[in-house]
Amino acid sequence: MEEQLKIDFEKKLKDFSYSDQEKKFRETNFKEFLKKGFPNRKLENWKFSDLNQIIKSNIGELTFYNDYKKENQIDKIELISELEHNKIIIVDGKIEKIDFKFEDKDKIEVLVEQGEETIKENINSLINLNNAFSNKFCKIIIKKNYSLKKPLVIYHLTNKNTQSKNTNSRIDFKLEENACLILIDIFKDNSEKNFLNIYYNFELDKSSILKNYKIDKSINNNIKYSYNNVKQEANSISETFILSSGSKFFKNEINCDLLGQHSSAFVNGIFDLDDENHHEIKSNINHLVENTKSYQLVKSVLEKKSKAVYQGKIFVSSEAQKTDGYQLSNAILLSENSEFNAKPELEIYADDVKCSHGSSSGSLDENSIFYLMSRGLNYKEAKKLLINGFLLDVIEKITDEDIKNLIKNLLGVKE
Amino acid sequence: MLKINNLSAKIDNKSILQDFKLEINPGEVHAIMGPNGSGKSTLSNILSGKKGYDVTGEVLFENNDLFSLETEERAHKGIFLAFQYPLEIPGVNTNVFLKTSLNAIKKARGEKELDAIQFLKLVKEKAKELKFDEEKLSRQLNVGFSGGEKKKNEILQMSILNPKLSILDETDSGLDIDALKTVADGVNALRKKNNSFLIITHYQRLLEYIKPDFVHVLMNGKIIKSGGPELALELEKKGYENIN
Ligand SMILES: Nc1ncnc2c1ncn2[C@@H]1O[C@H](COP(=O)(O)OP(=O)(O)OP(=O)(O)O)[C@@H](O)[C@H]1O
Ligand SMILES: [Mg+2]
Repeated sequence: MEEQLKIDFEKKLKDFSYSDQEKKFRETNFKEFLKKGFPNRKLENWKFSDLNQIIKSNIGELTFYNDYKKENQIDKIELISELEHNKIIIVDGKIEKIDFKFEDKDKIEVLVEQGEETIKENINSLINLNNAFSNKFCKIIIKKNYSLKKPLVIYHLTNKNTQSKNTNSRIDFKLEENACLILIDIFKDNSEKNFLNIYYNFELDKSSILKNYKIDKSINNNIKYSYNNVKQEANSISETFILSSGSKFFKNEINCDLLGQHSSAFVNGIFDLDDENHHEIKSNINHLVENTKSYQLVKSVLEKKSKAVYQGKIFVSSEAQKTDGYQLSNAILLSENSEFNAKPELEIYADDVKCSHGSSSGSLDENSIFYLMSRGLNYKEAKKLLINGFLLDVIEKITDEDIKNLIKNLLGVKE
Repeated sequence: MLKINNLSAKIDNKSILQDFKLEINPGEVHAIMGPNGSGKSTLSNILSGKKGYDVTGEVLFENNDLFSLETEERAHKGIFLAFQYPLEIPGVNTNVFLKTSLNAIKKARGEKELDAIQFLKLVKEKAKELKFDEEKLSRQLNVGFSGGEKKKNEILQMSILNPKLSILDETDSGLDIDALKTVADGVNALRKKNNSFLIITHYQRLLEYIKPDFVHVLMNGKIIKSGGPELALELEKKGYENIN
């Protein structure tokens, strides 16, 4: 792999005339990645999902070079038709289109960035990989007091003939004071056996609101990692909802730093897994000042040999008195071979806090099935009704009505 | 309508019903009384198709071999069980459930399914008859219902589904006097249409409102005595120990 990496990185540097600053930034990150490689189970964070192994067994040898000079064919993408939206289309890691057609032009700024000279935060090797290989860095700024009229949908696409490739994409967002953004990530893959690496940075200024809905519903054989790094000032709210379902492997990592008082973070999600799919949600909620709040609810429905992992961490620093932190996960195992791993972590250094966590897993309740069947529903219908019922409370956590309905439709939840 | 011949049932090699016999004709009401643990709910469950029992013997429902039918097929054919302990189903709206159930049965029978408006009209009417608080129907099925409300909900389901044979497993336990009367009214309304009932109860009070044709005493998985309504009164006085 090392040979391939070096060749591909050389090619990449040749393609673009990067400024010295950017070149240096990419090289530093590249060296870091070479040193660390893909995460494996020896790292605490990755002990349930050995990415190195997963890539080896599902993809084999990866290549890292993507020709970002060429125009990608955006072949027939199915856009969401249920709601009007702004869009960004990313194909094989490259942003092909940015379209804020519903918005006031002077309220949104799109910048191309250079990359910092030094790496401020060395998060993990995948972020290094991303910084080394991603196309241009793009930053989107939502101006003070502006709420987008329509949601922004980011389509993550891959070309049909892309195979055994690593693609990287990165977008930074800044929500100025009192701004509001609804961001929906849709994953649609026409390809197989690739490793998609997605990295978002969010700066939430005072009283801003971010709602990020990640929808991985269409079935595909790709491996995905997504990292959300959210920094929150006073009174800001971040709401993340993850529908984790279609990909072969998907790890969603959400890092929220609650830096301002009365800021709050919500991380909710559904694992709806079949076959041998293996998905993970890893959250780090860092309560760093007084009076902040976090809430997490994750529900899993696991068929066949699927595996779901939820590692939810709540960190409370010694200054962060009056923290309110809550997390809960419940799983229904529909087969003896499915697996749910929950690892709640509470690390609390303040004394006046309210934190709790809980987790449960079990099979579908046969008595409830019998009850429903005795009313004329067949096994399949009874099971569906129970599962929908089980998922309802986490779906109800979605605060945007349109998205809630969209997700209900995707899951076949009827009312 | 229902013929049970030499029904025996075991769970984990523990014998619960032994050589149980019973025949119910159209329009008849049979009451079964028996001490705790005598096998009344087991009988109800087996008739409705609950899994997990080793059974021998024969049960015919309108000349169909009941054991060859799945639980939902029995419901389609007109068997209804009002559960002794109705289950709470979180996240499932009561109205949605009722409509799904009714239409599943109608569909299986080749009848026209009800649309939302027709269904709501029917539910409203039945809820009113049974003095069932309509607001509860928009809540999650049985979640947060009181014990009595759960029982009334079973009877509401019964009157909406209009079954040929209704098995009421201690529906009267936990009902207040007024509720008991409305439940009895519900039963009597169905009875007029030649539907049959198997009513399991510990108290003869219910039988004052629903006059049974037969009363059976179940002990240790067997019917030890059968008679008319007067048997219920005798039981009330003497207790099970002194019945022979
Ligand atoms: N799933 C089971 N596993 C083991 N034993 C069982 C099971 N279900 C019932 N039994 C036993 O079978 C016997 C009959 O139980 P059943 O529930 O039918 O009694 P019942 O007559 O309905 O009693 P009650 O008046 O208390 O409702 C009891 O001894 C009970 O413990
Ligand atoms: Mg019982």
